[in-house]
Amino acid sequence: MAHATESAHRGKAHGAGRYVAVWVALLVLTALTYAVRRYDMQEPWHLVSALLIAVTKATLVALVFMHLWDHGGATRLAVLTSVAFAALLIGLVLVDNATRFPYANPPRAASYQDPAGAPRPPAPAGRAPAH
Amino acid sequence: MPPEGQATFLQHHFPDAPTQEHAARLGMWLFLATEVLLFTALFTGYALYRYLFSETFHAASKYIETSVGLTNTVVLITSSLTVALALHAARQGQGRRAAALLAATLAFGGVFMVLKGFEYHHHFVTGQLPGRFYAFAELAAPGAAMFFTIYFLMTGLHGLHVLIGMGVLGWLAGRAWRGDFSPAYHTPVELGGLYWHLVDLIWIFLFPLLYLI
Repeated sequence: MAHATESAHRGKAHGAGRYVAVWVALLVLTALTYAVRRYDMQEPWHLVSALLIAVTKATLVALVFMHLWDHGGATRLAVLTSVAFAALLIGLVLVDNATRFPYANPPRAASYQDPAGAPRPPAPAGRAPAH
Repeated sequence: MPPEGQATFLQHHFPDAPTQEHAARLGMWLFLATEVLLFTALFTGYALYRYLFSETFHAASKYIETSVGLTNTVVLITSSLTVALALHAARQGQGRRAAALLAATLAFGGVFMVLKGFEYHHHFVTGQLPGRFYAFAELAAPGAAMFFTIYFLMTGLHGLHVLIGMGVLGWLAGRAWRGDFSPAYHTPVELGGLYWHLVDLIWIFLFPLLYLI
């Protein structure tokens, strides 16, 4: 109870200025993620940079717009739990598929020829072959 | 001893207003956690098929108009600002100001949906459709139909959330205009705002994953 009272008062202490500051930061980060895409990089780095910027933006929204910075305790626990389970599900599904032997996954355009020089399967009817 | 006026909104099973506010906020966050997990299922599908068909996904994302997605990102981010400012106004007892800011948010949501509608129309006309309805000859690689299945599922579910959020914010704007909220009681604005921020938060991930990479 003391905690709830305290957090309610802390939430009211702020001015509107920080919302505008976060809004500007979000716009800058949006421009940045758009600019980075045009920058020529090796394959995983577009994904990594885009996700890093997205996580930064999401953190700003959650901490300031959604007041997680002010409201501690159980609300943070709920958020962190959902994020942890999201990471578990996405991570384990990817690890599962990444560690399967090659023919357990659909063939990829780039990996048709390896690992044993297997013949390329015919393209499904009505579709052009993969390039 | 609760101050005058609190009796109208303080439920009998809560000892005081801050406790009630705390419980309401925690309940909302638990709901938002389930929403995160709902979208996580779709993000997992995206991650898996992007892993399996990475070249096709990369090629397919070029057929989604980046400028529209970028505009919609700016629109949603700005709408999040207006919601945050609306809560700020409601906290200070400026009901009319809060209502106006919520109405602005509603307008931004409308702009978002209209732009999304134009995008969907373009996909329908060009045959960039999910599953067996896929008829886009320019990109006929395996996984292309799956990209658009995931695209429509993710943006569709997100769009549904935008519509629900608009309904909630419209109702809140009406209540704020009537003067229902005060420095002592503005929990509905806060919780409705949380929902809208979550919608913005999900779009923050959808935009780069579907439009940019």
